[in-house]
Amino acid sequence: MMNYAIVPYWFAGYNVLFELMFFVIALLVGVYALRIYQLSGQKQSKLFGISFLLISAAYFIQSILNFAASYSMAEGCNMHSMAAMHSLSSAGIYAHMVLFITGLVTLAYMTLKIKDIRAYGLFLAAILAVLLLNSSKLYFFYALSSILLIYISFYYLRNYLKSRKMSALIVFMAFLFLLFGKIHFIFSVDHGTFYVAGHLLEFTAYALISVNLIDVVKKK
Amino acid sequence: MSKKRDRLQIIYDILSVIKEKNGKIKPTNILYRSNLSNQMFQEYMDELIQKGFILENKAKSGKTYSLTQKGFDYLSRYQMIVDFTSSFGLSE
Repeated sequence: MMNYAIVPYWFAGYNVLFELMFFVIALLVGVYALRIYQLSGQKQSKLFGISFLLISAAYFIQSILNFAASYSMAEGCNMHSMAAMHSLSSAGIYAHMVLFITGLVTLAYMTLKIKDIRAYGLFLAAILAVLLLNSSKLYFFYALSSILLIYISFYYLRNYLKSRKMSALIVFMAFLFLLFGKIHFIFSVDHGTFYVAGHLLEFTAYALISVNLIDVVKKK
Repeated sequence: MSKKRDRLQIIYDILSVIKEKNGKIKPTNILYRSNLSNQMFQEYMDELIQKGFILENKAKSGKTYSLTQKGFDYLSRYQMIVDFTSSFGLSE
């Protein structure tokens, strides 16, 4: 499964801060979208909100895992605590992958504008089966995330071309950076520099999303 | 050719008409001013009542409608909703 050695030593701790930041931004977007759903009754907002809440939960778990890993590296630990740490991290990594992929599938389903929960169930089951029954789970996680993000980015490109609004362009750029970030993580499994670059790309994506959210809230 | 109204705009139009004559407007008047088919109008009204945006008041002279606080909130936040949904590609 995930190899923590890919995190450059100097970056340990910073990665946790980045992930907590992503968690907070995704949580705010999710909560705000659900508030919009309460006001408008619009199903798309509900799906969008749920997808961001799932993604935020995935980042929260990732930050806890990385914090535990950084802490155990700094403190040093015995065989017993290493075994406990391994079990905890395996469960956490599965939870992170399932939550993140479910969030992206929900987002992709939202863009399809299909009103059939069975289609969503089939879509999700097929993708989770491919992910969890595969021996190279981490590579497949980043590959599936990238494929879903390519599709979602195209949707947001079309949305921008239709509306020609700056806010729509910002959201498209944000998903493009998220895509680049995920593609980067595929290489980071073997190389620490890519891991850092992936986090920076994701940071740019979430900074753009928060700029957009602040802009909308400010107009209230 | 005018652009087709989206769901949020239709809800806004219905609630605006009710707000103008709050508590005194009859369904035929809303139907006429919201520019919807009878069936669509009934679907929207049922949903808005069910979700607590409007109240149906039954009197001897017939039914009238008024806005709830949630309905007023929707009207004041409509622009924010439109901005959020258009930038995040949530229009139906």
